[in-house]
This record gives sequence, structure tokens and C-alpha cells, in this order.
Amino acid sequence: MKLQMIGCSHHNSPLSVRERLAFSPVQIGLALDGLRERFPLSEAVLLSTCNRVEIYTASEDPEGTPSHEQVAQFVADFHQLPIYEIFDDLFERTGDDAVRHLFTVAASLDSMVVGEPQILSQVKAAYELAKDRQSAGPLTHGIFQTAVRVAKRVATETTLHQRRVSIPSVAVGDFARAIFERFDDKKVLILGAGEMGEETLRYLQDEGAHDITVINRSFERARELAQRWQGQARPWEQLPAHLTSADLVIGTTGATEPIVTLAQYKQIEAARYQRPLFILDLAVPRDFDPAIGDRLGVYLYSIDDLQAACQKNRHDRDQELPAAIHIVEHETARFMADLHHRATAPIIRRLREGWQQPKDDELRRLFNKLPELDETSRREIAQSFDRLVNKLLHPPLESLRSEAEKGPPHGLLDALKRLFQLKD
Amino acid sequence: MGWFIAHISLVCFGASYAVAWALELSQLVRRNKAGQFLSFGFVVAGLLAHTLYLGYRVVENSVSPLSSSFDWCLVAAWLLVGAYLYLSWYYPRAALGVYMLPLVVALVVAAAFADRTPFDTPGASRVWGAVHGIALLIGTLAVAVGFVAGVMYLVQARRLKRKLPPMPGIGLPSLEWLEKVNSRVIILSALMVGVGFLAGIILKLVAQPGAAQLPWSDPVIWSSALMLGWLVAAALFNGIYRPSRRGRKVAYLTVVSFVFLVVALCVLLLVNTGHVGQKSHPQALLAPGTLGDRS
Repeated sequence: MKLQMIGCSHHNSPLSVRERLAFSPVQIGLALDGLRERFPLSEAVLLSTCNRVEIYTASEDPEGTPSHEQVAQFVADFHQLPIYEIFDDLFERTGDDAVRHLFTVAASLDSMVVGEPQILSQVKAAYELAKDRQSAGPLTHGIFQTAVRVAKRVATETTLHQRRVSIPSVAVGDFARAIFERFDDKKVLILGAGEMGEETLRYLQDEGAHDITVINRSFERARELAQRWQGQARPWEQLPAHLTSADLVIGTTGATEPIVTLAQYKQIEAARYQRPLFILDLAVPRDFDPAIGDRLGVYLYSIDDLQAACQKNRHDRDQELPAAIHIVEHETARFMADLHHRATAPIIRRLREGWQQPKDDELRRLFNKLPELDETSRREIAQSFDRLVNKLLHPPLESLRSEAEKGPPHGLLDALKRLFQLKD
Repeated sequence: MGWFIAHISLVCFGASYAVAWALELSQLVRRNKAGQFLSFGFVVAGLLAHTLYLGYRVVENSVSPLSSSFDWCLVAAWLLVGAYLYLSWYYPRAALGVYMLPLVVALVVAAAFADRTPFDTPGASRVWGAVHGIALLIGTLAVAVGFVAGVMYLVQARRLKRKLPPMPGIGLPSLEWLEKVNSRVIILSALMVGVGFLAGIILKLVAQPGAAQLPWSDPVIWSSALMLGWLVAAALFNGIYRPSRRGRKVAYLTVVSFVFLVVALCVLLLVNTGHVGQKSHPQALLAPGTLGDRS
């Protein structure tokens, strides 16, 4: 039996490489078909996200599993790239390392932002697609199902996933959500067209926000951003009016002076009727006068404010990591022990069959010699023989089980084969 | 089984709630799953014992659930525990127990000191007594829930203003939700206390047709009237003045309402005014009501 993972991730490959090796959802389906065709004895699952491309293969017969070179060649052929350009970027994990790697990935311990929740659904989707394409099998089923369970254990038994560490995720998850119960009825105002503003918008849209207005000094850029986020662009002159009606404001302009001063805010304050206003000032220098944050109903956060919260979360998360790693290690050991024990199943079956035959022969001989035995006595004797066989088999099977917990029990299996003359 | 139920006392479920509260407080220092489950277990165990205790009183003593100050406090505590469990299901990660369980414990303690003598409300007065008691019970619970929501609002707003990250697993509901709860309970409590007060006046008139005027000098009556006045003013202020529905103002309104409630309850339970209509004091009036005294 062989399990392996070959792929690349944000740890060892730059974005330029990952982009070239990435598979779109349609391409994943085609790649899985290709893998099944080229390596018919191997199961395969392909996980492709913006941070990683990983191909998991597994086969009962080690000969049926593709080698590192073969998988690299497959990826190169699929993307029509020379293999030498990608070979060094693809790393390999086999056996328990591959299992541990998948568990770590699914539990989001290997993510760029540790604890981000999307990866688990991506792992699930990768397995579901492989199942639909019939490239997954019992081995990959076992490892992916366990990976999902491990990820859930890490999520419930540690607070790792509750610690957000990126500024937009902290802003939305830890602060905006503590102010607003829902976002689908809130007005979001974006000032400027900064990259972090877009990332924040992504989080807000995930929460249900859809009423988005973009205001920028360049109306063209505002319109571009608004189109991308299905919002509306408005001219710079309408800023006070939109500031009055907004619930969430994200400032990302490149202005060198605050674009909203305290005096300007006071002019619109009365018209807001103290309605809560969440201001996320991601601009450097700041777009909003910090004194605005002292006004009633205003919750103003600058990059520095959120950075402090991120640092604290990062520190708290680091303290949670050992517990999460312990869960992954424990589950990996358990999974491998189960796997090794499962590999001994054919030998155990043959061992039992080997003892069954003489037992049946002896019973038949005994019953022929003692025809006066009634049905009850015969049943009792048969049960005694069964118990005897089970008791005799118990020590070698127990030894096999405990050996399987340490690794593949090849030596013991060979010994059993030779001692009991079990043939393959 | 009957023997077991008969030996359930206030201490059983009161201590259960107190331990659950202590466990909730310990979560503020160190969050752990075992403590959470244990706390939930103690609340459920307490509620079970509480329910059996109330049921046993109804069956064995042939008294209705609101027939004395003692029973009234216990039913109020029981409903508050129900509200706590419901809200915990709605907001599983919020530290609601820290804020709600002390009120439950306080009501159980108040019950221990409250008069167990059934109210004396014969004949037609029973209906008005029931309306009086139930309306004041709902009003009291609304004020209590509003107080908890108000305090949570102030704590949450303070954290957000100070830009502190939430403590994982023991967060609080959003300001928007808390504000909505506060606004609603202000109206509900004003309405229910108003109905309860009115029913009390009718009860008085029905019980003593010849009485010339209401005994306004009774501390229970004037403290209740004061609370009602505040609640009506708060509800009107909340409805008419738009910014009052926003932010901390509504939270302060509910917190002050609770202060009035505590004063009214202290007067009712601690001051011997003869108001509660014990058999020795026939002038039953603005007391927690009765659903019929069959003892």
C-alpha cells in the first residue's frame, strides 16, 4: 500500500509558479480523468487553491502508484510546460508524512493565514469532485474523511479559528460584526480604490453586504471598482451626502491630508441621528480625523488599531498551535495504525481459513465416531472447537495488531506466512 | 420518587444556579469546554429541580403558581432561566450566563425571604388578581431582560470604543441586536406594568367596594407608581425622540428602569406594609397576584 502527495504550496513556490500550475475547476475534472487513464491502478485527488496545488495518489499495490517524476510529467504535460521548469517546485510527501500533511492542510495549519476557514471546504470539494470523477477510492476516502474530522476537532478543541490575523478579517469579524447584526440592509461606502479596501469588501460581501457605493477623486477608477463589486460609483462632491447615509465606511485613498475632518463630520452628525457608523480607515496617512472616533455612535479603526488586535490574535493563536499540532499528530498515528492493520487483513483471513479446514475435518471425524451425540451436544462441541481456535489465534493476531501500530508489520507478516505456510 | 421531589429545597436549585454562575465567571479567566458543559449542566439540573419544586407545590399544597410573594419570585426566576437557555441557544458563544444568572440567583434568594402566606383574594377579585400578578410578572421579566441587554450593550460598546479584540468564546451579541432588544423591552415593560397597575386598582375597587380612595401612602403603591411613571416616560422618550433609540441612551434607560424595579421589589418584599394581602391584612392591592387560593 502506498500513499503520497506531490505538489507545491506558498511555502516553497512563489505566486508566479503557483499560477502556472493551478487548475481551474473544469481543468481539475479533466486532470482527474487523465490521471485515471494514465495510472489506472491508483486513486487520485487533486486539490488546487490559490495557495497550493497538490495531487494525492494512493494504491494498495505500491507498483500501481505513480512516481514523483511521473506525476511531475503529468502536470507538465497538462499545462504544456517543460518538466524541468516545474520539477524543482514540486515536493513529495509519502506514507504518514502525506497523511500528516493533508490533516495539517485541512485543519488550516498550513495556510498562509493560519486558521482561515475556507481551506476545509476546498479540501471537501476536491474529494467530492474526485469521487464524482471516479478517481477516488477506498484509500483516499478514508484519508479525506479523516482529514475533515481532524479539521473539525482542531476547530472545536482549540480557539485557533476564532483568532483572526489579517487586518480586513479582524475589522469585519471582530469589530463590524460586533456592531451590526446583519449586513444585507447596510450601506457600505468605499473611499478610494486601495487593495486592502477590496479585500475588506470581499469579507463584507461574504457577510451579505450588497449596497456598495464607491467614491474616488477619479470617477473612472470609482466606476471600475464599482463594476467589479456590483456597486455604484458616485462623484467626489457627493461624499457628505453618502457619509450621512452610510453604515460602514472604508477609507483607502492616497490623500496626504484627512479627507474628513472633525468639523466636516460635525456638519453631517445631526442628520445621522446617532446611528452607528463603522469607519475603517486603511489609508496611510489617515483619511479620517481620529477625533471623529470620539463622537457618539462612531467606531473608528485605523490600521494601527487593528494591527494591535491582529498582533494579539497572532500571539494567542501561536499559543494554541501546539494543541492543534498534537491533535494532528495523534490522529495521524491513529490513522496509520488503522491503515497498517487493514493491510494485515488478507493474512489474517488466510490464517483463519487455514485453521478452519482442520477444525472442520476433526469435528466431522469426531461426529462420525460418536453418532449417538444429540444436536445440543454437537453444537456445544462445535462451539468449544471454535473457542479453541480463537484462543490459539488470539496471541499472533494481537502481536500483529500491536506491531501495526508502530508501522507496516512486514517482518511479522513474513514470519506468519512462513510458519503457517500461507501462500499469496 | 415522591419522597425525592418532596425533599427538593430552594438550596438545591439556588446552589445549582450559583455554581453555574461561578463557572461562567471562571470562563472569563480561562475558557474551557469542560467548564462550559458543566455550567450548562448545572443550569439544566437547577431548572429541573426548580420545575419539580414548583410542580410539587401546586399538586401537594393545592396552591396556584402565583399565589404568594414566595411563589411569584420563584416563577419569575424560573422564567428567567428559560429565557437564559433560549438566548444561549440563539447566541451560543455569548457570555449570557455572567449577566443573567446573578438575577436568577437574586430572585431565588428573594424568594427565601418572601412571604409564603397565600394572598387573600376571594370571589371576583381572583380574575383581577391573576391579571395583576401575570402582567407584573411579565413586566418584571421584561425589565430584567432589558437590564441585562443594556449592561451587555455598554460593555460591548466600551470594548469597541477601546478597540479591544473580543475574548474568544465569550463574546457578546451585536450592538444592533442588543439595541433592538432594549427598545422592545422598554415598550413591553411599560405596557405590562401599566396593565398590572391598572388591574391592581380594579382589584382594590372590587375587593373593597366601599373604599373611598386608594391608599397612596402605601410604599408599595408609590414605588410601583414611580416605576410605572419612569417606564412610560422612557417608552415615550424612546418613541418620540429619535436619537434616544440609538446607542447608549436606550441602554441607560433600561438600566435605570431596573433600578426602579429593584426599589419596588425591595419595598414589596422587605417592608411590612400589609399590602400583599395576607389573610391578616385584608386590603390586598398592588401585590404580585393570584391565580386562586385553594388552601
